[in-house]
Amino acid sequence: MGIFWRIFGSLLASTSSASAQGWGNVTKKEVDEGFSWTAPLWPSFWMAWTPATFLLFCGIFGAIAVIGVLEVVKYRDGIERRGILGLTTTLGDRLFISLLGTAYIFLAWLGIFGQPLWWPLAISIAWGVFCFRKV
Amino acid sequence: MKTENQRAWFFVLPVLLLVAFNALVPIMTVVNYSVQETFGNNVFFWQGLDWFENILRSDRFHAALGRQFLFTFLILIIEVPLGIIVALSMPKKGFWVPVCLVTMALPMLIPWNVVGSMWNIFTLPNIGLLGYFMNDVLGVNYDMTQQPISAWITIVVMDVWHWTSLVVLLSYAGLVSIPDAYYQAAKIDGASPWKVFRYIQLPKMKTVLTIAVLLRFMDSFNIYTEPFVLTGGGPGNSTTLLSIDLVKIALGQFDLGPAAAMSLIYFAITLLVSWLFYTLMTKDDAQ
Repeated sequence: MGIFWRIFGSLLASTSSASAQGWGNVTKKEVDEGFSWTAPLWPSFWMAWTPATFLLFCGIFGAIAVIGVLEVVKYRDGIERRGILGLTTTLGDRLFISLLGTAYIFLAWLGIFGQPLWWPLAISIAWGVFCFRKV
Repeated sequence: MKTENQRAWFFVLPVLLLVAFNALVPIMTVVNYSVQETFGNNVFFWQGLDWFENILRSDRFHAALGRQFLFTFLILIIEVPLGIIVALSMPKKGFWVPVCLVTMALPMLIPWNVVGSMWNIFTLPNIGLLGYFMNDVLGVNYDMTQQPISAWITIVVMDVWHWTSLVVLLSYAGLVSIPDAYYQAAKIDGASPWKVFRYIQLPKMKTVLTIAVLLRFMDSFNIYTEPFVLTGGGPGNSTTLLSIDLVKIALGQFDLGPAAAMSLIYFAITLLVSWLFYTLMTKDDAQ
């Protein structure tokens, strides 16, 4: 037991002297540096939201809402059409196809080339435009 | 003219709320987890898309995905034709109809974990009925706890035993809905049994078969309990299917970030394949 306390004591002494010299401020609480897209949005809430992921879902639900309103208000008749893939699609179908395709474009790029992801972003936008105009 | 009424949507609202709570909230949480690192205690650190990159490039994930596709492929290629054959040979009327239907429905009533334990005891090499019979009576070297091939045969046969009934019952429902006039017309034309099957029975079963294939795909692709109870993913990693690997990462290693990224990739695959199946199988109807 004695040897344990000696080691423990010396460890304690060395850490306190190190931190007194200003080494390793790991125990210090991080200072709030204002808004960050990647910091926790509501730290005590279990869903672990960040502004970035929150914006992602706002985008998806916003797109669904816009499509829903358009389907009901603007394109009431003649909404379905047969595109170049031979599929009969509505606006909602096209949104689904573009979102699913986008997910695969990003995953494929991550798996093959890795980050950064500017190119797959460009490809995804092109894919979305293609889906809404041609599919 | 038919009056359009959108009131029906309100009847869907309760289901929508329920789905929001049991599907949407968890999946949003999973998305949040997949871009962060946590050591528990509700503290999270931003990680970006690193987990996705790691998972997509890991040999472990590729191997589990390969095993999962092989398993699902075997299940579909065995269960769908077998189910159709059994449904075709079932009686259409009389005393044996309820007997057959109840017998068919029995395996589906047994919970997954019980099925796993049953088959485990049944196939154990020394004390199980099948294991003993194979090894000591037939002299076939069969040990699902040691040999990957035996383990694979066992989990596939177990799933066939458990779920072929679903395909049978759905196909049977499609078959009995065909009016007798179709068969009479075929008889007059002198159609062979194959032609009756190809041009009358198969088209009439198409809708229910679409549902059967979709259900069997999703269930077998997401299967966890039965192989976990039966083999625990072993021997080695030979029957570690995607879901078993996922649970190992999430709960065994407590790597919630990588597990979340992996489950989103898993989800994307299930979503795409289900959508492809559904679109291809209902494509002709829309024309």
